[in-house]
Amino acid sequence: MTGGLVLFALAAGLAIAFALAMIVETSPVRSVLSLVVTFFGITVLAILLAAPFIAAIIMIVYAGAILVLFLFVIMLLNLNEEAREKDARPVQRVLGLVAVLALGGLLLGLTLRAGAPPVAPSAAAAKIPSPDEIPLIGRLLFSDYLFAFEAVAVLLLAAAVGALILSKRRMD
Amino acid sequence: MSGMTFFLLAAVAKIALVWAVMLAALLPNLVWMERRGAGLIQDRPGPNRVGPLGLFQAVADVLKMFLKEDVTPLYVDKLLHTVAPAILLVPALTTFAVIPFGSSIPVAGRDVKLVIADVNIGILYVLALTSVGVYGLVLAGWASNNKYSLLGGLRSSAQVISYELSMGLAAIATFVTAGSLKPSAVVDWQVANLWNCVPQFVGFVVFVVAAFAETNRVPFDLPEAEAELVAGYHTEYSAFKFGMFFMSEYANMIAASAMIVTLYLGGWALPFVTFTGVWGGVLSIVVFWAKTLAVISVFIWVRWTLPRFRYDQLMSLGWKVLLPLSVLNLLAVAWVVAMKGPA
Repeated sequence: MTGGLVLFALAAGLAIAFALAMIVETSPVRSVLSLVVTFFGITVLAILLAAPFIAAIIMIVYAGAILVLFLFVIMLLNLNEEAREKDARPVQRVLGLVAVLALGGLLLGLTLRAGAPPVAPSAAAAKIPSPDEIPLIGRLLFSDYLFAFEAVAVLLLAAAVGALILSKRRMD
Repeated sequence: MSGMTFFLLAAVAKIALVWAVMLAALLPNLVWMERRGAGLIQDRPGPNRVGPLGLFQAVADVLKMFLKEDVTPLYVDKLLHTVAPAILLVPALTTFAVIPFGSSIPVAGRDVKLVIADVNIGILYVLALTSVGVYGLVLAGWASNNKYSLLGGLRSSAQVISYELSMGLAAIATFVTAGSLKPSAVVDWQVANLWNCVPQFVGFVVFVVAAFAETNRVPFDLPEAEAELVAGYHTEYSAFKFGMFFMSEYANMIAASAMIVTLYLGGWALPFVTFTGVWGGVLSIVVFWAKTLAVISVFIWVRWTLPRFRYDQLMSLGWKVLLPLSVLNLLAVAWVVAMKGPA
């Protein structure tokens, strides 16, 4: 269990540190890369939760596809370092701080009230070959959650078509 | 010895074995094989001065790379310029974790499966690692602050992303027939039935072509096309950082060949032979590496035989030919499996 705890601390620390770096960093490319490392940390957390499928999907979809596209756009547009303006938006800054504190307080309060989480059964952790969960996920998607699954698929298709049309219109 | 300790020891032993074969035995000799093969194909001797048949040329080259000055150009992004080769090399060396390189060996009363991590998400792990490797290419190109590097990096990442799709879809068909995402299950299915390269010939061809593109090898080596881009993304690299690019190219080639062997050429199995006992296990490892080496020689043979594609041809081949083919292949295979009913 302690090994898992050390890994958790490492991965969580990595994720938080690089999430901060993502916001603070002025160079857009480094900012995107920090986000990649954050996703890597989250992947490790997912594996610790015995959800390797989720971990792989985070890595493939977010780190492997979406962020690479971000990187492409930034490199092709040749975006340079942000010009540091002297607090151009003071109101938003204060509002942002209030929102962060409120959300953080809410999370902290809920976590404290929930008490100590039940310790993961070590028997399940010791069983190295975990049960094959992928067929289960597939079956659930095509039975209980069929409507939601198809609805999301249609939504994605509509978004893709919309993106195509928008980019075409600008080219004409 | 408790189960956990045994498991850990076995894993360490397996990692040591795979990396020993890859880094010590295959990598240096592949460079030799490639250059001698090039000589053979182009009717010239190739390296033949250092050691018998020029066999120690690779050792000399590695020593040279260690000893040379590591030049970092002035206007590069120092941090990213340094980590890019490592980002490229790590996925190349870790793909092997899910590839079964032998049947199984009985040790101390337990049957040790000859695969480092027989995880349920096998193929997804490989795809995730490939997509991380893309960052190495993009960053090497961008951090070098050189237009040729940037073009090479963008080209190669666009190429890797495009061909990853066809590669994944072709591979999925083999997992559909096997009924599991474990590469070891695909090998087991092939042992019980037929090597996948026969019933899934279309998928096999798509996968092999995509593997050539994924590893940036001729005829798809546009990222480093020396006629137009100097050397592409590794133009600004020297000494051992360049050596890391060199190593990752060959490590990627070994990994891609091993995937081809595992998914389509029966993995460690031979027809009409069952491997049992310790010697059977050892023999299955030998069979696996022999097959991988055979596929690698095809990579080398193609490199010195075919000319390079044009970039738009490469993209239209990927999107307009390979992708539809792999989708059709997947549909056909899924249809056949569905008709047969659950196994």
